[in-house]
Amino acid sequence: MNTLFAIATGIMFGMGIFQILRRDLIKAAMGFYILFAAVNLLFLSVGAYDGLIAPYVDAAGQTSAQPSDPLVQALILTAIVISFGSYALLLGLIAVTSRRFRTVDSDEVDHLKG
Amino acid sequence: MPFALIIVFPFLLAAALAAASARLRTSAQGGIAAAVMGGLFVTALTQLGAVTEAGALVFTVPWVPQLGLSLSLYVDGLALLFTLLVTGIGIAVMLYAGFYFDDARKSSRFLGLLLAFTGSMLLLVLAGNILTLFIAWELTSIISFLLIGFYGKEAGARRGASQALMITGGGGLALFVGLVLAGTAVGSMELGDILSSGDLLRENGWYAAIAILIMAGAFTKSAQFPVHFWLPNAMSAPTPASAFLHSATMVKAGIYLLARFSPVLGDTPLWTTALPLFGLATLLVGGVFALRQRDLKGMLAYTTIAMLGSFVALIGLPGEHGLKAAYVGLVGHGLYKCALFLVVGAVDHAAGTRDITKLGGLRAQMPGFAIVAAIAGLSMAGVPPLMGFVGKELLLDDFITDIPALLVIVISATCMVACAARIFWDVFMRPTPHSHEDEHDDGHHGHALPRGLVAGPAGLAALSIIAGIGIGPLMTPLIQPAVGEPITLYLFPPYINPPFIVSMVVLALGAALFFTRRFWLAWTIPTLPTGTSLYHGSVRGVERIADQVLKLQGGKIRYYLAVILATVAGLLAIALVRIIPFSIAPITVSNASDALKAALLILSLIATGYSLLVEKHIVAALTLGLAGYAIGGIFLLEPAPDVALVQFLVETLATVLIFLILARTSEQERRMAMERLWGQTRPGMLRDIVIATVTGVAMTIFALAAVSSRPTPNPISRWHLLNAPRVGVTDVVAGIVTDFRGTDTLIEITVFGMAGLGVLTLLARPQPGKTTPLIFKWRRRKEAPLKLEQSSADDDQEAPQPVMYRSRFANPVTQLAARVVLPVAFVIALGHIAYAGVAPGDGFTAGVIIGLGIALWFVVFGYQETKTRLRWLQPAPLIGLGITIALANAALPLLIDREFLSFSSISSFSLADIKLASVVIFEIGICLTVLGGVSTIMEAISHPLEAEPL
Repeated sequence: MNTLFAIATGIMFGMGIFQILRRDLIKAAMGFYILFAAVNLLFLSVGAYDGLIAPYVDAAGQTSAQPSDPLVQALILTAIVISFGSYALLLGLIAVTSRRFRTVDSDEVDHLKG
Repeated sequence: MPFALIIVFPFLLAAALAAASARLRTSAQGGIAAAVMGGLFVTALTQLGAVTEAGALVFTVPWVPQLGLSLSLYVDGLALLFTLLVTGIGIAVMLYAGFYFDDARKSSRFLGLLLAFTGSMLLLVLAGNILTLFIAWELTSIISFLLIGFYGKEAGARRGASQALMITGGGGLALFVGLVLAGTAVGSMELGDILSSGDLLRENGWYAAIAILIMAGAFTKSAQFPVHFWLPNAMSAPTPASAFLHSATMVKAGIYLLARFSPVLGDTPLWTTALPLFGLATLLVGGVFALRQRDLKGMLAYTTIAMLGSFVALIGLPGEHGLKAAYVGLVGHGLYKCALFLVVGAVDHAAGTRDITKLGGLRAQMPGFAIVAAIAGLSMAGVPPLMGFVGKELLLDDFITDIPALLVIVISATCMVACAARIFWDVFMRPTPHSHEDEHDDGHHGHALPRGLVAGPAGLAALSIIAGIGIGPLMTPLIQPAVGEPITLYLFPPYINPPFIVSMVVLALGAALFFTRRFWLAWTIPTLPTGTSLYHGSVRGVERIADQVLKLQGGKIRYYLAVILATVAGLLAIALVRIIPFSIAPITVSNASDALKAALLILSLIATGYSLLVEKHIVAALTLGLAGYAIGGIFLLEPAPDVALVQFLVETLATVLIFLILARTSEQERRMAMERLWGQTRPGMLRDIVIATVTGVAMTIFALAAVSSRPTPNPISRWHLLNAPRVGVTDVVAGIVTDFRGTDTLIEITVFGMAGLGVLTLLARPQPGKTTPLIFKWRRRKEAPLKLEQSSADDDQEAPQPVMYRSRFANPVTQLAARVVLPVAFVIALGHIAYAGVAPGDGFTAGVIIGLGIALWFVVFGYQETKTRLRWLQPAPLIGLGITIALANAALPLLIDREFLSFSSISSFSLADIKLASVVIFEIGICLTVLGGVSTIMEAISHPLEAEPL
């Protein structure tokens, strides 16, 4: 199962990279979002064990069956919130670009040209 | 250790002054700064006895013990001498600076910089660790850059400032390498250890490198020939800063460094050759060049260079021979040079020029300054009984047998006598020259000087006399600990010795030179290639190369990205080749849960793939949302309910966000971008596909390697499971987020809050007729010219369409829904916070849920109405409040001597099923920050465009 996750991660990552390379800035931002999702999937699949129940313990720290790995979940939780923040910032930048340069085509914004 | 705080005070006061700027009169600002300098001076003076007795006092505060870094102060005679010099002269400079500016804001900025500069200089001379010393060294370079470029609107000021920074910064790099080499050779970064390892250093194979690098640092800082030229070009600084820079700080830092290291690096052929050689060359160049300067500040700058040369030469003499002369000269020079600069500042103020050929007859207008200039000038010329005389005697005494060196000193000293006479006579005594007819009309004349302006320089001039007459009893206790062996100082030699005779000859020659000035000032001298022109030549060369390099830049972001990503993919592939042989577990679908997971995985892949191909942004956003939900479903099946919950919520929010952004960008732009999406060339498309495939494959290999080599059972995950009850939670994920990795969370919410504020800064516009928060004021000013440029660059000259963002969803049903949803969201959020430790959901969830409710408001009601109806919603303060609560709560355990963020140590009590532990407060902080961040983003993005001054 984890093999499938790994392959899916790779495919999704490739799709994200392809999308980032588009001229259309909105699409490129979506590419970043795909990358965030791919990385979260990877995190999930490297979790230490294939759990049967959610990681909730009783007062003694015991569970009735094998729980899923809580550590990767905490990391993903953080990653989701942060990636939303970065996504918002990216979209904000695009809105500013659109206002200043009257375009969302990155090729039209070529002030770096030598 | 109260003495250690001496270095903190100037920085604190600098910040305080900046905050109080406009509320304090300039003279009050100067007075406060001078009082603090006085306090520091007295504090340093009280240490004199202890230092004389003990040799050196060391104060240490451990900082990063693992790296051998500690904040330590090493206070010996030398450090104390410089401390007294900096703070003592600081009193006069600060006092003067308080009267120098009319504008309270400018004055506070200047005094703040000056105080920070003083603080860095004190840190530099008191540093007990060579890394601290280096940091202070760089600080002085950077702050002097800001001071020299204080009038940044003038091109000359910018040029001078960047030149000074380039040269002293370059020297700083050399110094850094030298210091690290020295530290490695000794095996300690503590100054005390290094100072006791002189033989070790001298016998080290790297000795030559260490000595040369440290010399390079000192020479650049102390403006030694051939890199002396930055100092005259630095005169664009406001005059009080120049006075401070020349007399007690900045350039004296190089002297301090050489004096500091001469006991351990000196007494070698390299040291005793290089230092006198460069020093004497500098002495000659400085003295001769000073003569013909028209700008008074330039003249003073070159005489400073000459004096610095003499100090360097003295420090290079074998043994402790030259140190006495160097230190006496240092103090004497500081006193008169500072006074002279301050006089020049006043002259500039009063006459509107510093050009010596246009000045004259200022005696009547500013008699106080005339007297000060006379006294300081006499000290500079080396006339008894002033302090400068003693310094020159000692200098001559040290070189009396070395005829070439003596010749250089005599020439330079003669020039300086003539300069001193010119500064006094040509500015104050001779009748005003009337060669420039426009002089009387430009309105520069007759600026009244503030009464208090003369106090600082007068004090310094008085000290020049007092310290000269009382040289023995007053200066011996200061200089002796710095030299480190018993010394005797006297004003007049007990008998007529050779130096005294030479000194008198110099005075006579100088007088002759002064009286013949009409003659030699008329000479035309061919301009030699100077350091300045060499410097500008090399800068131009670099710029030309940069122009060529710039031609490589295509200006298209995609290409940069493609190069970067191709590099990453290539490197990744190389790295992965080594781990390639690993066993891949076969794909087994063992139960229904697995089958469902696989199905959702494939669904998310298909949806993502479709979002790539589809042209319409809205459809792409929706399919991406679908992919996100599918991933949320996978999380749910993991089972990871906490994560799934956040994933669903954030996915929703992200989709709302992109819809709002799509509404803000004009449809035409988007259509154009979409049409071009597939319009690129076939090779271009192929290239992108190749890059994406290679990266994707590399990532797949990496992921496969990761999942097949994961450590099972993972001890850290098990530990978290077992210890969760200890921190009072049953939801282990919540335990990790709030306690085990609580610092991560704290940083994360801060980052999230900053992202929100970033969006606000990017997008929010001030509304007409409303007071704007301070943070946006600069944007409005900056924006205006940019707009003009933009509209003139437009080809079709069509006025930009004011796009109106008005809600298309405003109808009674949606409005009712929005009104109902928000309170419900609050209730749900409260539940999540209360049950964070025992059930799915936590502070994030709560914040995002309320955020969604607010997003609905913005969508349904639009910006204006939401802002008027939800008055309590102040997103930016919410972020601050949230972070403050979380931080304060995290720090609470520190009060009872527990660790940061260890909530479990604070007693918790249960109410029904709810744990009212301190962790709940932490969750509230998280919730508020996330809510603030989300609402900030929503508010900024749905801000109406028609409010913009387009």
